[in-house]
Amino acid sequence: MLLCALLSIIFLFLMLLFIAREGMQALLTFGMDFVTGHVWDTNLNLYGALPLIYGSLMVVAGALMVAVPLGVATAIFVEEVLPFSLRDLIKSLIELLASIPSVIYGFIGVLFLAPRVASIFGLSSGTVALTASLVLAVMTVPTIVSISGETIAAVPKEYKEAALALGATKWQTVKDVVIPTAKSGILASVMLGFGRAIGETVAVLMVAGNVAMIPTPPWNFLSPVYTLTAVIAMQMGEAAIGTLEYSALFGLGLILFIITLIVNSLADILVKRGVKRLGG
Amino acid sequence: MKRGMVVKANKGISTLTAMLGMISFLIIGLVVGHYMSAFMQGENGASYPQEFEEDVAWRTSGITISGSTTVLPIANACAIAFMNKYPHLDRLKITVQGGGTGVGYSQVIDGVVDIGMASREPKTTEIENARNKGVDLWLHPIALDAVIVVVHPSVANSSYPLSLTLQEVGKIFAGMYTYWDEVKPGLPHKEIEVFVREPGSGTRGTFEEYTMHPWKYNVTARAKVRGSNPDVKRSVENTLYSIGYVSFGFVSENMHVVAIAKEAGKPYVYPTISSIAKGEYPISRYLYLVTRGQPRSGTLSDRFIDFVRSREGQQIVEAHGFLKLPYFYYTP
Amino acid sequence: MAGKISEKVFFAILGVPTIICLAVFLWITSILLSGIGTLRLDLLTTSVLKGGFFEMIVGTAYLLLGATGVAGPIGVFAAIYLTEYARHGRLTRIIDQAINNLAGMPSIIIGLFGYTFFCRQLGLGISLAAGWLTLALMMLPIVIRGTEEAIKMVPNTFKEAALALGASKWETTKSITLPSAAPGIITSVLLGIARVAGETAAILFTACVLVTRGLPKSPFEPVMALAFNLFVKIVALGEPPEKVFGIALILFLLVISFAAVGIALRIYYRRKQPWLR
Repeated sequence: MLLCALLSIIFLFLMLLFIAREGMQALLTFGMDFVTGHVWDTNLNLYGALPLIYGSLMVVAGALMVAVPLGVATAIFVEEVLPFSLRDLIKSLIELLASIPSVIYGFIGVLFLAPRVASIFGLSSGTVALTASLVLAVMTVPTIVSISGETIAAVPKEYKEAALALGATKWQTVKDVVIPTAKSGILASVMLGFGRAIGETVAVLMVAGNVAMIPTPPWNFLSPVYTLTAVIAMQMGEAAIGTLEYSALFGLGLILFIITLIVNSLADILVKRGVKRLGG
Repeated sequence: MKRGMVVKANKGISTLTAMLGMISFLIIGLVVGHYMSAFMQGENGASYPQEFEEDVAWRTSGITISGSTTVLPIANACAIAFMNKYPHLDRLKITVQGGGTGVGYSQVIDGVVDIGMASREPKTTEIENARNKGVDLWLHPIALDAVIVVVHPSVANSSYPLSLTLQEVGKIFAGMYTYWDEVKPGLPHKEIEVFVREPGSGTRGTFEEYTMHPWKYNVTARAKVRGSNPDVKRSVENTLYSIGYVSFGFVSENMHVVAIAKEAGKPYVYPTISSIAKGEYPISRYLYLVTRGQPRSGTLSDRFIDFVRSREGQQIVEAHGFLKLPYFYYTP
Repeated sequence: MAGKISEKVFFAILGVPTIICLAVFLWITSILLSGIGTLRLDLLTTSVLKGGFFEMIVGTAYLLLGATGVAGPIGVFAAIYLTEYARHGRLTRIIDQAINNLAGMPSIIIGLFGYTFFCRQLGLGISLAAGWLTLALMMLPIVIRGTEEAIKMVPNTFKEAALALGASKWETTKSITLPSAAPGIITSVLLGIARVAGETAAILFTACVLVTRGLPKSPFEPVMALAFNLFVKIVALGEPPEKVFGIALILFLLVISFAAVGIALRIYYRRKQPWLR
């Protein structure tokens, strides 16, 4: 049983080990340029991941700009405003949204969302960063709703009752008591949402346009981008085992691994801190 | 409180039982699945061709095919047609995976798959790799394809057709022109939108071999990468002032096809079935199935390749928008 | 009074995002259901070779059953250890952290790892078995977390009663804790299945092929699966939407029904635990 429990550590460690081992060649060849290089081109055998890292971060930032307000507001509404009987129903529906497979999000994104984005903004092709961000936002909202919802629900009743007894309105209670108390949990939910969004592969690949270039200007959401995950999925099949390209793809995997590890650990700490403060 | 416990204990759904249940479910699933698939294949096993009955090995063997995404639809459809031809031979199995031309070559060389799919001839590194491992690569042409340069109708159309030399095409894709009217006077003063295929793509390899490599051009960083022929097709159709290249089968009415000349002064050739088959249109290529050495006669690999090159296989090739082989390769 | 009204308005505005979320869900569902016309029931039992979906559906089922067979027991035992046996300290904290990190790991990374480790290092090749192990890695954290929650919900008084009657710790776990937690465990397994049923990135390089004849006859053969075929058909083969609508719809219904049953069961048992009332 101890072994079963240890398996998750063992596999996490093996993952790091094997991905790092395969990615070593690229890292040794390019050094820091692997992360800061501007050119990702298989024909030139040059692998600089900056445009891809930028693409990932840009798409995710866009997604969070939509998903965080949407998600947090939904969480507050569901936990504080909705009557108890409706709460589970709405929460379940939002959770169902999370369980829709990403290939289906991609399917809908490319067939229905991208053409609309194209016609609204007068673009020739709707597979751009904005579309990817919108698809990702929908995929991230449930994570944010469920985690921040949990912490909002965990705010002790006594706090709220005390505020209400002091004559605060319900909205003041929410604004001045509930949100500050649940702050670290909400932040954690954003972190986890970030982690989920940056690791999303198939849906993003299908709608992001896949161009390994930093857009001009860099905040232009109407230009196509290529993300870390999409490059791995697209080029893995094309790369022959043992080549520099193959290794570079694992290098990208390593970057992604480290990003997620940091983000998840931060979220973990935030959740724990929130729990501690609530005396849970 | 106690009552709850008693009820629970009586129910006795221990997790272990649940797990056993799941495992038996798995086994039942496997059995039912097999029964059903056997049943389904039995249904249409009534009539089957009686040819090739003399040797037996191929009837129970399985082969795996991987490689070029360009050849993938052909191989996919041919594998399905071939297996459907012998519904009673349920151990005859052709498995098709994707990958890419590079993967196809490397897996054939390493013996991981039986047949590779390639949309270009092997690179010198791939030939060396094969030689080092003592492998002879055999290339079996199965279809002919041309890479067609296409532009959005906003650039040119049937009343104002566009024709370019290979080098001019190369310059456009290398980003040496920014506006269309720099290419040829009379074209619109609009920025050129360039669509290319992803690195490693066979279509891109063929295209660059003829239009970029002779002048050592590199694709402009402004080019938008698309992951497949249909993607480039959609993009060029929907993007004003765009240019791109697709396989022959992906040309549509919503785009304008560019006539190409080998060099200035030579005739501009419009890609047609006959101009491509005669080799007049300059950017064309064969699609290949690749094997490790010559496949032994009568083996499944041999029969499958023969099938793809038979009349039936070539019909599939044409149905997927490629050109069938010229007569000297064709084995009706 | 004015405060009251403005508050109502405020809460109403707060409700808009919720409505947006639900509207998006309905939009997606309605798009997919609009494709139901292209789906004929007989295609479900027709071979892929004849234009049906049979092998993809059964292949998906094989993948899910195998992954459950691996992740289920391991997850349950890990959860038992963590809740009932482990002393809380440094080790459990690290394990906890690792489980969270595994849960948050992108599926493409798990797929990459599965490819280097299961397919190449362990020599499984592109096979059902490699797919099982890779998907199991994704299910594991969900099963562990769900089982932990279910076990924690079992009141201590139950266990204490058993222990007082002279039962050993394992006997107590086996015949008191686990049966009481069984519904919760099964729920967590269902949610785990829902998580991996539509997974594409993890099986992209590890388990799936575009076409083959029949179903795998051993775990060392590759399979066809709904999610993978949908992806390849759109991205690599560029098939028109109406040809893939059927697969998308089946996949959607499959995943949504697992998730819906899982979520409904979880709510039911959270509410109906008799000892919590």
